[in-house]
Amino acid sequence: MTTPHPVVIVGAGPSGTAAAAQLGKLGINSVVVEEASKIGGVIYRGPLRDSDDLPHLDDNLKRAMDALRTRYSAQQHHIEFLTQTRVLGPEGQNKLLLNKENTLSSIEYQELILATGCHERSVPFPGWQLPGVMLLGGVQLQIKSGLVKPGTRMALVGTGPLLPLVACQLHKAGVDVAGVYEASQFNKLAKEAIALLNKPKLTLSGLSMMAYLKKHDIPFYYGWGIVQAQGNETLQRMAVAPYNECWQANLKHTKTIDVDAIGVGYGFVSRSQLAMLLGAKHQYSQVCGYVPTLDQWQKSSLENTYIVGDANGLLGADAAIFEGQIAAIHIAQKRNKISPKEAEQLAGKVHRKLERIKRFRCGFDRFSARQFGLLELPKEDTVVCRCEQATRGQIDQAIEQGAKDITSLKMRTRIGMGDCQGKTCTSYAIDRLHHAGFIDNIGTVKPRFPLDPIPFTLLEDTHEAL
Amino acid sequence: MKSLKRTKDITPILGASFNITINNQQVRAAAGETLLSVLLATDHKRIMNNDHHRHCGAYCGMGVCHCCQVKVNDQFKQRACQTLVQPNMTVETLSNRFCEEGIK
Repeated sequence: MTTPHPVVIVGAGPSGTAAAAQLGKLGINSVVVEEASKIGGVIYRGPLRDSDDLPHLDDNLKRAMDALRTRYSAQQHHIEFLTQTRVLGPEGQNKLLLNKENTLSSIEYQELILATGCHERSVPFPGWQLPGVMLLGGVQLQIKSGLVKPGTRMALVGTGPLLPLVACQLHKAGVDVAGVYEASQFNKLAKEAIALLNKPKLTLSGLSMMAYLKKHDIPFYYGWGIVQAQGNETLQRMAVAPYNECWQANLKHTKTIDVDAIGVGYGFVSRSQLAMLLGAKHQYSQVCGYVPTLDQWQKSSLENTYIVGDANGLLGADAAIFEGQIAAIHIAQKRNKISPKEAEQLAGKVHRKLERIKRFRCGFDRFSARQFGLLELPKEDTVVCRCEQATRGQIDQAIEQGAKDITSLKMRTRIGMGDCQGKTCTSYAIDRLHHAGFIDNIGTVKPRFPLDPIPFTLLEDTHEAL
Repeated sequence: MKSLKRTKDITPILGASFNITINNQQVRAAAGETLLSVLLATDHKRIMNNDHHRHCGAYCGMGVCHCCQVKVNDQFKQRACQTLVQPNMTVETLSNRFCEEGIK
């Protein structure tokens, strides 16, 4: 399959895979670029090694993984799949520079679909750098794709529907789950009952998870959260405390629990670095960081670039699939494979399903909306930027001395200047500036080329490719 | 050479497998899995020694945070979570070029 100007899709998660399948269905070839070795993304990738059964995963998840794979396989002759390939950034007009196992190449596109997903929001607290403290999605990836338990006795802290889900999966995988601590109060969830009824099946499965936890004596606390992680060389115990409505911990009632691993999940941030580097217009969202401005066809401010799935806001896998399909339908119409009327009809059905998910999701977003108490967790000497070891004290000092935006904060403290390019510390820094009263024009840590570190020698060896 | 036991697997190792070496100890690894999974399966929690001499473990596990970098086949700073195991791979945890070779 060689088309001179194919559609290039970055990311083979639910949205990227769905876009490729939909394009194939409408007779359009695409190239999918993916950093992992399999399709599915973090949520539907499934195990990376052979296994007869998956005792810790429920049937709904297995069905969803199969459905995505079936849809994709049916169109495989239209899809070229580049695995373990990372996009380093744009290269000239309508081209991307790729790195596969330290070999550079570039790929040209006529239309680009970014399905880069999201990463987890980091919340610094004393001890969060101790080995054994992991993000909740990282924990889940280990049990779902690695088939490995990240710890023997674990606890989960954070907010949102992923907490009970991962708690059930960990327990079924044989981990001793010491407790689950949801930062938000239960009465706040009860208020969202109507929103949650937009997806009755999902709500029911949430209830059945809570019942599973109860049956197996796994305590689930509302209005509690992390205060500190402790241990010598690795995590040995953690301190949790009741949170008030602003998520400020009441240290008088701190409880210490022995654990060798924790999953911390206080939300997600859209992974928009590539879209920003390409120059797509973005705006700040309190829920998920900087997100691209899009039209109803998922098209960004750049004429031939579409952004689908969690990369443009956090609606989860089902919505991601629909958004991938919408972008594909629009590309098919632009290429005269279908008429505008057919496109409207096809997309109309998908849009209606998307609306229901949005209403459901808004309920959970209101419940899980993070509160400023989280900003008070790190102490003065707690590191906020892991790569550069910049502390909360240094950030406070920089703000006292007049830093009003991310760029000056970065120059004063070195936050965001390390290998991860600020993906870990930016969320805290933005919230901290907002809390100090700076709302407009604070900017964000600008993504740099290459998006992933590469050895100097690589540039030297392949300078012609550049 | 001493062998490492995998104690944290949820399901048994099936299909193709081979040996890799972690800190001079041999361990069985299954085709397809990531190096991070083998490290966690063998209870290696302290994985990286960063440029500030700070020991860290896997944090995001998906290629974003750069907290699980190890030395793989003599190459420093390889993300364990993004590296698929290969036969005869040699891995060193807590290795850091600055700490080992210094800055000249």
